[in-house]
Amino acid sequence: MLILEFLVKRIAQGLLIVFITSLIIFTLLRVVPGDPVRLIVGGMAPPDVVEKVATKMGLRDPIIVQYGRYMSGLLQGDLGQSYLRPRSGMIAAGGQYVDPTKSDMALVTDLILERLPFTLQLGGMALLFALLISFPVGIAGGLHQHRWQNALAFGMQSLFVSIPNFWLAIVLILFLSIKLKLLPALGYQGFSYVILPALVLAVEIAPFIIRTLTTSLGEVMQAPFIDEARVRGLSRRRIVYSHALRNAAVPLVNLLGIQLSTLIGGVLVIEYIFDYPGLGNLTVVSVVGRDFPVIQGIAITTSAVFVFINIIVDLVAYLIDPRVEI
Amino acid sequence: MDLSLILEIDDLTVGATTPGAAPILDHISFRLSTSEIFGIYGESGAGKTVLSRALANWLPESLQYRAGRVAFAGHDILGAGAREVRVGRDIAYIGSKPQSALDPTVPVGVQIAEKLHSVRPEWNGRECRDRVMQLLGEVRIPSPKERYWDYPSKFSGGMMQRAMIVDAICAEPAVLIADNVTQPLDVTIAAQIVALLHDLCTRHKMATIYLSSSLPTLGQFGDRTAVLYQGRFVEQQPFDELLASPQSDYTRKAIASVPRMWETAEGPLARRQAQGEAPLMKVENVHRTYRARKRGTFNSHSNIQAVRGVTLDIMPRENFGIVGESGCGKSTLTRLLAWLETPDSGSIVLNGTSLGALSSRELIRKRNEFQLLLQDPYNALPPRTTVGRMIEESLLIRGSIKRADLRTRVIAEMAEVGLAAELYDQLPNALSTGERQRISIARALILDPKLLILDETLSALDQREQGRLIELFSKLQEKNDLTYVFISHDLAMVRKVCTRIAVMYLGEMVEIADNHDLFFDPQHPYTKALLSAAPTLEQKPFDPSDFLLEGEPPSPIDIPAGCSFASRCPKAFGRCRMETPALVEHSPGRFAACHLLDGDQAQAAA
Repeated sequence: MLILEFLVKRIAQGLLIVFITSLIIFTLLRVVPGDPVRLIVGGMAPPDVVEKVATKMGLRDPIIVQYGRYMSGLLQGDLGQSYLRPRSGMIAAGGQYVDPTKSDMALVTDLILERLPFTLQLGGMALLFALLISFPVGIAGGLHQHRWQNALAFGMQSLFVSIPNFWLAIVLILFLSIKLKLLPALGYQGFSYVILPALVLAVEIAPFIIRTLTTSLGEVMQAPFIDEARVRGLSRRRIVYSHALRNAAVPLVNLLGIQLSTLIGGVLVIEYIFDYPGLGNLTVVSVVGRDFPVIQGIAITTSAVFVFINIIVDLVAYLIDPRVEI
Repeated sequence: MDLSLILEIDDLTVGATTPGAAPILDHISFRLSTSEIFGIYGESGAGKTVLSRALANWLPESLQYRAGRVAFAGHDILGAGAREVRVGRDIAYIGSKPQSALDPTVPVGVQIAEKLHSVRPEWNGRECRDRVMQLLGEVRIPSPKERYWDYPSKFSGGMMQRAMIVDAICAEPAVLIADNVTQPLDVTIAAQIVALLHDLCTRHKMATIYLSSSLPTLGQFGDRTAVLYQGRFVEQQPFDELLASPQSDYTRKAIASVPRMWETAEGPLARRQAQGEAPLMKVENVHRTYRARKRGTFNSHSNIQAVRGVTLDIMPRENFGIVGESGCGKSTLTRLLAWLETPDSGSIVLNGTSLGALSSRELIRKRNEFQLLLQDPYNALPPRTTVGRMIEESLLIRGSIKRADLRTRVIAEMAEVGLAAELYDQLPNALSTGERQRISIARALILDPKLLILDETLSALDQREQGRLIELFSKLQEKNDLTYVFISHDLAMVRKVCTRIAVMYLGEMVEIADNHDLFFDPQHPYTKALLSAAPTLEQKPFDPSDFLLEGEPPSPIDIPAGCSFASRCPKAFGRCRMETPALVEHSPGRFAACHLLDGDQAQAAA
C-alpha cells in the first residue's frame, strides 16, 4: 500500500520533471544562435530559400505553438523526424539537399531505440566494474579503519578521482589496444568493444563509491548494535555481511542515484572518444548539426531514465531501511 | 563438585591494554549456582559494565584480562573451555540500552530468530520463529505475532527491553547477565520489567547476575548481593542483612544516600504567604497538538495531542513540581510555560499580562521575568564562548547596562551561584556538570526573573551536587523572591523540594496537591501507581503489588474515550471508559481527576 502510494506519487512527479525538461530544452534550442535550416540548405543557398524552408518546417511559428505541436506528437509516441538523417542511415551533407519535411527522414524514436541499448549496456557494465573495484577495497577499508586497508582505499580513491577520463581513455587505447592488442577500442562489433569505455567510466565513479562505503561502513561498525551482536552470539561473518553492510548500503544506494548523472555526462565524452555507437555519440553529432528533434528526443529519454532510476533507488533505500521517508 | 554450581569466578582482574594502568576490576571472585539471583550494586564508574562484559568474554578492544578464571560449568571460558561454552547460548547478556541493541533495518522478531538459529543451529527456522513469537507473548508484548514483524523504531523503550529479554532467554541460557536493565525506563515500566525478569529467572531456572546502580532495585530481588566499589567487591551478603548491618563504610554511605520519600523529616515545605495574593502565573486550559504526516496515506495527518487542557495556578514563592513519565507531555508543557511555543488554545497569564497578547518586542522585555533552565548543561552551553560572555549575553541583547559595569555585574552574579571569578575568561570545556548547571542558573538570574522553570535541571547531577544546588535554590528564593517550577520524573527530588505537585498523564493533570498530601494520601490511582513503583528502601504507606501497572500508556495519537488512564487502571469501572473525569477540588487545595472520588462523595452524601 505504502509502495503503491509512493509509486503513483513519484511517477506523477517524474512526468512533471520530464515535461519541464523538455520545455527548457525546446526553448533553449530555439533561443540560442545557430539556425538548423542554414545547415540543411547549405551555406550557398539564398536567404529567401532559407526562410521558405524554415516556414515550411514550422520553425518561424511562435515557440509556444511549435512546442504545442511537438507535445501533441509526443503524446502519440511520435518524437518527430531527424532534420539530418535520412532513413537510409547516411547523414545529409551540406550541399546535398534533402527536404527535411519529407517522410524519408529517419524517425527520432527509431534512432533513439537503436542507440539506447548500447548506452545502457555501457552504463551497466561501467557500474558493474565500478562496484567490482570498489566493494572489496571499500569494505576492507571500512572494516579496518586504522590499518593499511584504509590507507589503500584512500590512496586508490585519490588516484582515481584525479585521473581525467579522456586522458585515461587515450592511454588505455594506446596500451591495451594498440601496443598489447588485448582489447578492441574503436567502433562496435561485439561485446568486447564495451570493456574499455566501461573501464574508463568505472574509474570515474569508483572513488565516490569507495569513499562512501569506507566511511559509512566504518561508522556502522562503531554502532552499539554491532558491538552487542557479538554478545548475542552472532558470528563475525554474519554481523558484517547481513547487518553492517546492510546499514552501510543506504547512503551508498542514494549516492548511486546521484552518480548516475556523472555517468550520463561521462558517456558523452567517452562514447565520442571510442566512437561507440550509443546515445552520447548521437547527441554530440546532433548538437553539432542542430538536429533539434533528435536533441529533444535524447533529452526526454535521458531525463525519463534518470527519473526512473531515482525512483528505483529510493524504493531500494526504503526496502533496506524502513525508516527512510518516502 | 556441586552439581548446581554453574559459574565460578576466581581472582578476575581486568585492566587497560596499556601497561601500568590501574586495574578496572581487581581480584573479583564469586560463585553462582543454578536458579540463583546474584545482585551486584555499584555506582556509575565502579566497574559494573566492565564486569558484566568480562563475564561474557566480551571485553572492548581497549581492555584485557590480566589474571583470573571465569569457569562456566567447569569450562574455563577464557582458555581451553572457550570452545564448549557459547556466549549468546549458554551465557546471555541484557544491557541498559535496548533501543540501540538491534539492527534498525531488520524486524525485531526476525533478528531474535536469527540469533536463536545461529546459536542453536539444531532448531530449524520455523521452530525458532514459533519459539520467539511464543516468548514475545510470555513477556507480555501485546499481539506478539504482529509485533514480530515490527522494526525496532516502532518499539517503546519498555517494549524493546522486553524484546531484549526474549533475545537473551530464547536460547535457554544457564546464566543471564542483566546490566542495569531498568536504568533508562520509567518507574512504572521498570517495576514491570523487574517483576517479569524475576519471574522468568525462577521459571526457566536461570542463574542471574543482576547489576544495578540502584540499591532499591536490587532490593526487589532480595537475594545475595555484592557491593562493587572501585573494581573490588567490598562485601557480599543477603540483601536484608546488607541493609541491616553493612560491613563497610562505603556500603553504609551508599545506603544513606538512597533518597527517602516517606521516612524523611519534612523540610521547609511551605511557601511564605502574603495576604490576598494573586497567582504569579495562571495557566488556563492550554492545549497543544502536533500534526504528523500519516504514512501510507496521500495527505492525511494524525494529531498528536501532547498537552490537553492544562489549568494551573502558580503562586508567588512557590516550588511547584510537575511529575510524569516520558511521553506524558511534560516537555511540551515546559515549552509552553517558557513561551517557546504558543498554545493552540488557552492562555498563559504572567503577573497579570497575557503572554499571547504581547508584541515580540514587549515579549523580550517580559522574558526577563521568566527563565528556563534545561536538563543537559552540556548541550545548553555554547562550547567556544567564555563563561563570562555566556552570562552577560542576555544583558547585551537588551542593551540595558553599560559595558563598563558588565563585568562587575556578571562576577557578582557568579559569586552568588558559587562560581569562582577566575572562570569569567575561561571556556566551559573543563567544567563539571554542577559548574555548568551553575552557569545556566547565573545566566537566567542575571535578568532578575520572578519565575524559573527548571526542566529536569537536577536529574543529570549526582546526589551530593544535587543537594548543594537545592540549597542554592532555596537561598536564592529567600533573597530574590523567586518562584520555581520543577519539571521532573524524579519523585524523590520532587518530594524534597516542591511545595505543591501536579501529576501529569497523557497530556492532562490527574492530580494536584500539596507535597505531604500527595505522598501520604494520594487520591488518583495513577499517582498511587507512580509512588508504588518508585524504587526506595522504605516501607510504603500502601501495598505496591496492588498498583503494579500493566501495559504501557496509550499513544497520544489514539487517546481512548473516557478517562485516559482507564486502560491501565486497576480500579477502572464502566463509567471510566465512557466519561472523562474532570479535575475537581475534592477537598481544599487538593485536586484530582477520578470518578472514584465522585463515588466517595456520592457515598458520603447517601
